[in-house]
Amino acid sequence: MTWAVMAFGLCWYTIINQMDTKEIIRIEQLTKRFRDGEGEFTALHKIGLSFGRGEFAGLLGPSGSGKTTLLNIVGSLDKPTEGRVTVLGKDIARLTHKESAMLRNRHIGFIFQVYNLLPVYTVFENVEFALLLQNFSAGERRKKVMEALEWVGLAHMPNKRPDKLSGGEGQRVAIARAMVKRPEILIADEPTANLDARNAHAIVRMMKQLNKELETTFLFSTHDEKVMGYLERIIRLEDGKMVSDEWVNVKTKKT
Amino acid sequence: MKLAFQLAYRNLIGAGLRTWLNAGILSFSFIVILFFDGLIDGWNKQGIRDSIDWEYGQGQLLHADYDPYDPFTIDDGHGKIPESERAASVPVLVRQVSVYPEGRMLSVKLSGIEAEQKLLKLPTGQLQKSEAEIPAVIGKRMAKVAQLKVGDRVLMRWRDKNGVFDAQEVTIAGVFSSNVPTVDQGQFWIPIRKLWQMTGLHEEVSYLIQKEPKAVSISGWNYKSQNELLKPFRELIKVERIGNSILFTLLLGIALLTLFDTQVLSIFRRQKEIGTYIALGMTRWQVVGLFTAEGAMYSLFAILLGSLYGIPFLFYMTKAGFGIPEANLQMGITIAERIYPVYGFSLIFGTVLLVVISATVVSFLPARKIARLDPVLAIKGKVL
Repeated sequence: MTWAVMAFGLCWYTIINQMDTKEIIRIEQLTKRFRDGEGEFTALHKIGLSFGRGEFAGLLGPSGSGKTTLLNIVGSLDKPTEGRVTVLGKDIARLTHKESAMLRNRHIGFIFQVYNLLPVYTVFENVEFALLLQNFSAGERRKKVMEALEWVGLAHMPNKRPDKLSGGEGQRVAIARAMVKRPEILIADEPTANLDARNAHAIVRMMKQLNKELETTFLFSTHDEKVMGYLERIIRLEDGKMVSDEWVNVKTKKT
Repeated sequence: MKLAFQLAYRNLIGAGLRTWLNAGILSFSFIVILFFDGLIDGWNKQGIRDSIDWEYGQGQLLHADYDPYDPFTIDDGHGKIPESERAASVPVLVRQVSVYPEGRMLSVKLSGIEAEQKLLKLPTGQLQKSEAEIPAVIGKRMAKVAQLKVGDRVLMRWRDKNGVFDAQEVTIAGVFSSNVPTVDQGQFWIPIRKLWQMTGLHEEVSYLIQKEPKAVSISGWNYKSQNELLKPFRELIKVERIGNSILFTLLLGIALLTLFDTQVLSIFRRQKEIGTYIALGMTRWQVVGLFTAEGAMYSLFAILLGSLYGIPFLFYMTKAGFGIPEANLQMGITIAERIYPVYGFSLIFGTVLLVVISATVVSFLPARKIARLDPVLAIKGKVL
């Protein structure tokens, strides 16, 4: 019996260890088309990519290049028209609404360009929201929320409302909200587009630090030069096609 | 479910004035419905109690030819008191007579009743005390019409059993106040023995009022239970309720329309929020549930708000009563000058349930749209 338990444990350890080193996002031949009046518009065309644990990668490209569409599909907010996208071993196209919601709730954090904070909630409540969906006790929630607010330097203003926050503070709350549940993947769609240079640098530095500390995979869409300097991997998109995939600022590829 | 209500509570509290405006409108409907329904319940209870106390007793035994709603049956609708009922009932003989207050002629119903009876609230004790040849008690409506007061004498003309006219002065021994117009309007009450003497109809009665409820079957007499006697009044209350329910439907409809409008606007204005909820891990149906719970919670807030001003108001009304305009009192229906509303558990519970269910349904209808919403577009606020 003891041997069986040990063998089972070893098996799991091996699987989890392998998962750690393996890719957590795999994109194969991804095509996304939208209806455009009578015809169709191809937003993404045969994209193939994979991302490993703890990557700090950015999708670069002009407006309409397909960055946000790609992030939405990886974030399970949208489905591919063709091809296959696997996130944490789950085929996005095959997930039900409930499974998609579960995936987002437990494993994926989102940061939006305009922060998308819930306007009637305080800073604390905004960050707490994701934990409410996971049925944490009130005590656990408080501990985790305050910890997340510590990370982003806002532990002193848990009761402020979003309309009383500056742009930088708002985006830091959004980061805390995304990170409080310790997701494996964090998707940030133009997170610095509404910020001034000082705040943009501060925000990206903060995300970089969280990426190092928590080993979360950060996936950006941006065309902000300030962000690019921090990225380890830059994927360029144009008209829905991938034109380059380079590793920068790191000596070796992570996966 | 718990989460939906938890979040809905936060959202509504956070929304501030908007929440309280909606809750205010809904609470007003809630209190008005409670008040008017309570008023009708109060009227119903008072009316039934008064009808029993003043007119119906525990049931009646009417002569087969006598119909209280048909004056043409008064002449022939009488018979000897059935022996079995002599002790168990209060006998009443009804005749048609004319009185001449200040020279005017008024056709009135003359009812003879046992002066010593205690079954009805009619102050027949005053007939016993009076030393007048023919003492009479009348209701205040009759007194007003005939301009009579206690101690006044008025000429009365009647026919005896042979159809021969006779006339004599009647003395008003008492004027009573009753909410039951059928014992008051156009009616004089005198001792039955006197009436037997005046008409020669000894031991004859038009109807008997039972002291104890007991179904009897006697040839030539029709038994009417208390329930049967109260049926017309209950029908009237039913009609009133229908009329009121139209008013309530309109009132609640307006309040619910406001809520519906708020929800539609809310879904339109909060698209980004809806998208964010979905991005953060809520399913679409969870978001539908959240918006529906918000609607249901509006009704709970309305009940809470309504309780704040409603409880003192409704309590005050149960003590002070609601004055009925004079015109209504003349309509011939059993109604008091003041109605004291009654708020029973079923009324309160029923109204709360009505408001909560209707508010929930009205909130669910626009919220269903969220289930078909594209979260990607919602996050950008581009759906609707």
